[in-house]
Amino acid sequence: MPEITVRGLTKRYGKVIAVDDATLTIKDKEYVTILGPSGCGKTTLIRMMAGIIEPTEGKVFIDGKDMKGVPIEERDLGYVFQNIALFPNMNVGENVSYSPRVKGKSPEEQGTTSHKYLELVKLLDKMGMFPGELCGGEQQKVSLARALATGSKLLLLDEPLSALDARVRVDLRYDLRRLVKALGITTVHVTHDQEEAMSVSDRIVLMRAGAIVEMGTPEQLYTKPENIFTMNFIGETNLIEGWVRERSVGLCKIELRDGSELEVHSCPYDTGTAVVVSVRPEFVYPFTSGLRSKIVSTTYMGTYWRMTAESASEDEIDFDVPVSDGHLYKIGQEVYLMINNKATVVFPRPHEGIAEAVKLE
Amino acid sequence: MDRLAEAPKSTFLEKISTRHFRSGWKAFIIIFFLLFVILPTVWVLSYIFTDWSSIETVMGDPDLMSTIYDAILASFEIAAIVTVIDIIVGLPMAWILVRKEFRGKRYLDTLIDMPLAVPTAALGFSCAIFWAATSSNVNAPGFAPGFVDSAFLLIVLLHVVFSYPYMVRSLAAILEQIDVTYETAGRALGATKLTAARTITLPLFRAGLVTGIILCMARSLSETGGTMIALATMANSGNFETGPTLIGAWKSNPDLIPQLAFVSILLIVISLILLIILKIAVMKIKLPAGKVWPKYERILSRGWAPFLKDSTSSAFLFIFVLIPSFFIFTYVVVLPYQSAEWGLFWDSLFYSFIIAGVVTVLDIIMGVPMALYVARGHGSKIIQSLDVLVNVPLIVPTAALGFSLGMFWGDVPGIGSFDFILIVMAHVAFTYPLVVRNVAGAVEEIDPSYEETARTLGAKPLQAFRRVLYPMIKTSILAGAIMAFTRSLGETGATLAVVANANTAPVYIVDLINTEQFYTAGLACIVLIIVSYVFMVLLRYITKRRVA
Amino acid sequence: MPGIRVLNVKKSYGDIHAADGIDLEIRDGEYMCILGPTGAGKTTFLRALCGLTPLDKGKIFFGDKEVTKEEPEDRGAVMLSQTYSLFPHLTVQDNILFGPDIRGMSDPDKEKTLSSMLDLVRLTSRSDAYPRELSGGMQQRTALARALASGCDVLLLDEPLRALDARLRISLRYELKDLAKSLGLTTVHVTHDQDEAMVMADRIAVIKEGRILQVGTPAEVFDSPVSPFVANFVGQSNFFKGTIESSEGHTVLRTESGSLLEAKATDIDIGCEAVLAVKVGNTEISKDGVGFLQGTVERILFEGRYLHVDLLVDGNGRISAKVPSWRMGKIAVGDRKQIRWNPEKARVFPIPEWGLERELKVE
Repeated sequence: MPEITVRGLTKRYGKVIAVDDATLTIKDKEYVTILGPSGCGKTTLIRMMAGIIEPTEGKVFIDGKDMKGVPIEERDLGYVFQNIALFPNMNVGENVSYSPRVKGKSPEEQGTTSHKYLELVKLLDKMGMFPGELCGGEQQKVSLARALATGSKLLLLDEPLSALDARVRVDLRYDLRRLVKALGITTVHVTHDQEEAMSVSDRIVLMRAGAIVEMGTPEQLYTKPENIFTMNFIGETNLIEGWVRERSVGLCKIELRDGSELEVHSCPYDTGTAVVVSVRPEFVYPFTSGLRSKIVSTTYMGTYWRMTAESASEDEIDFDVPVSDGHLYKIGQEVYLMINNKATVVFPRPHEGIAEAVKLE
Repeated sequence: MDRLAEAPKSTFLEKISTRHFRSGWKAFIIIFFLLFVILPTVWVLSYIFTDWSSIETVMGDPDLMSTIYDAILASFEIAAIVTVIDIIVGLPMAWILVRKEFRGKRYLDTLIDMPLAVPTAALGFSCAIFWAATSSNVNAPGFAPGFVDSAFLLIVLLHVVFSYPYMVRSLAAILEQIDVTYETAGRALGATKLTAARTITLPLFRAGLVTGIILCMARSLSETGGTMIALATMANSGNFETGPTLIGAWKSNPDLIPQLAFVSILLIVISLILLIILKIAVMKIKLPAGKVWPKYERILSRGWAPFLKDSTSSAFLFIFVLIPSFFIFTYVVVLPYQSAEWGLFWDSLFYSFIIAGVVTVLDIIMGVPMALYVARGHGSKIIQSLDVLVNVPLIVPTAALGFSLGMFWGDVPGIGSFDFILIVMAHVAFTYPLVVRNVAGAVEEIDPSYEETARTLGAKPLQAFRRVLYPMIKTSILAGAIMAFTRSLGETGATLAVVANANTAPVYIVDLINTEQFYTAGLACIVLIIVSYVFMVLLRYITKRRVA
Repeated sequence: MPGIRVLNVKKSYGDIHAADGIDLEIRDGEYMCILGPTGAGKTTFLRALCGLTPLDKGKIFFGDKEVTKEEPEDRGAVMLSQTYSLFPHLTVQDNILFGPDIRGMSDPDKEKTLSSMLDLVRLTSRSDAYPRELSGGMQQRTALARALASGCDVLLLDEPLRALDARLRISLRYELKDLAKSLGLTTVHVTHDQDEAMVMADRIAVIKEGRILQVGTPAEVFDSPVSPFVANFVGQSNFFKGTIESSEGHTVLRTESGSLLEAKATDIDIGCEAVLAVKVGNTEISKDGVGFLQGTVERILFEGRYLHVDLLVDGNGRISAKVPSWRMGKIAVGDRKQIRWNPEKARVFPIPEWGLERELKVE
């Protein structure tokens, strides 16, 4: 049963460190996403797993076996490329049966394999077409079928959806997860898209500047991340600056810049510590009391309104109002904002500054 | 926001930016190309209609016919053999250059281009004293292999030397365009390196293979000076002739016009037909991509087999290409100093330089706009056919081209009587495509959105070219210019065919060999090599800087 | 300051109609998003506006002036291509000054323009850098500054955020729109990303196969789509086929399995076949009460703000719903759920003649 482990994996190009000492294990049948901004080393990492790039240091184990010196063709894995890379000189059927063919399987077996996997991705009717005649989403499905046709139980996906239109991407990611889960395949998926990562994965590995920042289930990373970068990268959030004024069991009082006070979920920091309170926009509500703020912009989002307000403490606070509430605020209007203190996460104020700590590129 | 109104009225720019002026200029460039390049190149074909009777006379002479038949056949046989050899040894070398990363790759890269720096006249001499059995008055160094006594074989060896870099370069260029991800994808699916290369990359390769084959064959079919020199240097060439040497030899005799026309027509027509057949055939041939032999291919993908392949192709480069190219240096070093008459040589070298300079300037002025139209005008049928026509002078053997051109301009008063103008015209005809191809290739790689964005920012077409496109392609223009310059400097066939007793440097060297002044010829070759080499270094320096 | 009027613009490439009779009016200072799938003709439309693609037919006006035959440089409309097309051989500063240089602006004026532009896009410290040394976001801002410095008053953006990371894209949406708005530019922004269009646009024009399907504010396009395609493209929808049962107050649709579904009133005749569309986000699921439909939870995915819930509906196949993520733990796979929605949020359409499946294809 395929399980993939990397230990102390490092890749250096001259002085540039692309991946720095990455260690992680992907369990059998698990769907793990490696998420991070451009240039964070996620592609280098998955390429080292596949054997396309030789690591400078560290090891890759598949099923407990050290993969050092084992070329990609003998690692028994399926790999889907960002640029799709369907062979342009072969039709869809030939693309999918390429793997059984080069492994010397009989023509009958090649035929049944391509039939089986094209049926899985619902593209049986496109069998005789050439890749150039398909649209982007279909191409990527064929490429997936081609990778699955290796019969391997380990699938590596290198930004499989990023070449596609936004709307196609959304449909495809649900299909993708459904498919690999049904086949019981261990999957590693690389992406820069946090929404995609959350929709498909059992577990997310967040990377930044060559290093793993944090790992966890989508829910863990969204609701209780350990790192302020994670908090902001996984989804939009409010970051409010303040100082710890008072600590008690299960609750903390934070003093904001204008002296007003915010109650948050417990935090382990001493009184006087400079902190950042993070709360996602859906956990901020307009109320009769709370942070005095002024609405600066409103945006219709379909099922909710996204409001941006500036508080008296000079923090910019986003909050969402469900459309079904039927209550509309005007720009310039004064509101009081309550924060669901169960949904807050408190971080120590980063010494490099908040902007730098959550920088996206 | 009335900032648009600030635009100054520069009337000249306004004028030349009008649609009328732009259409006029475009027409002028295209007419120049058709009238000065294409038409003279194939003008000799008109001879069929104007003077069929004299061709019939030629065909009625069995002795003459057998000489012509032998020479033409030899030309095409040599071209074919050379091309096949080049593909076999060039493909692994191209693979090494594109797909492999190793220390010293930069040097290998340079080494491959080295023979390009040697004018073919010098190559002919260098190759002959290295490979051929020579008579004693040549004084070839004793340690040269010197065992080749078949003229045919010697010419094959010679042509491999100068066509090899063209083949490797064009194969490498194609290979570079084929995304390596395809091979990686194949390997991820379980194919070995060899299987992936054979079943995926090679089939994608073949359209591009035509380019390499055509370049290679055309170069071989065109080569005159080096071939003449090699034949004259070897001990016993018999009456061996190729098509171009026949033209070179007969040109000085004014009675042989019909014969020359006949040979030229044959060369041109067969070359063009061959080109068409090749284009069709290469796409039709089924490569053995269907079957796989996993076990054997796995063995061949690992360990000694790839090593053997790589070392063989490197060895070939040294033994069959590099050493014969530069063997001439040992010749001059080994021989004792002899005095020689240098005045004439310097004159001819100077003459060659002036011609090459004028040719290059004309190429740039007329070729760069053409390249822009060709690269940016994919939508238009006219431009597409121009794109094909630009290649014609590359395929036509230069000796035939020269003869044809001589016929075209010969009777035009004011041109036909000036050797200088005729030679320049001939050289422009076969170097013009080099500039156009080079520049058009560079332009095609540049996203048109740069110029388009410049236009929307307020730039007139000429401003968009000068400020945006030109800085990006100027190195390619220079590279094309230097290539045209060195080709013009080294050309013998076209020069001889257009003016029988021209005084250019390569022609002068041919004369020296024919009069058995081997030592002087050797020194002249070396001077020519050094001059060309300086230009090549310049070329590499400029193109490298572009990459950086 | 021009609004833009486009009258019956047509452009074909062989059999492909990239623009098939486009009529559109873009108001002065408006931020208009052209939203559509790949190959819908969005880029052709943009290129036609700035004069890079000549039209087969039709007219374009900037304000009262017809510009159909004008050269690109005379239109005062700057296009920002997907890759930004920053001139690689020029520094940030020289890129920005490209337009002013061409127009022969005086040196002191250039100086002033440059410093204000650098300031505006926060790149003062990078003015000597070459484009390749900048991050994607900085490149985008430089391109924007270059466009603004040229003195244009129409900004044409071709998928300006596509080259950026997903998370960065979200942050830059607001920034880009605020900039264009604060300078009072008329902006046409082409995108395939419906979220982007929703957030950024004053109005959205949905385009498909060279035709404009609908023009309206984000709320109009989201809540009152004119066709099943628009309903599905701008926010996912669940679809139910059936026949119109009655149309009093709300329209009632009877599905094949006999369920009665309610939607906003329509004028489709009773007894006609029709399809009902309701946004995934407006599809409510609960344990209690009686819904329009009943279903079983098939899978639950945590997506941050929402849980994505797939349900197998009795007799109606699979549908999806988005529920607030605080309900995590309160829903489990296998649960029986009542499915309902606010009828005002559901729309009924006639079945398209080419079939629903083809209508909904998003590429």
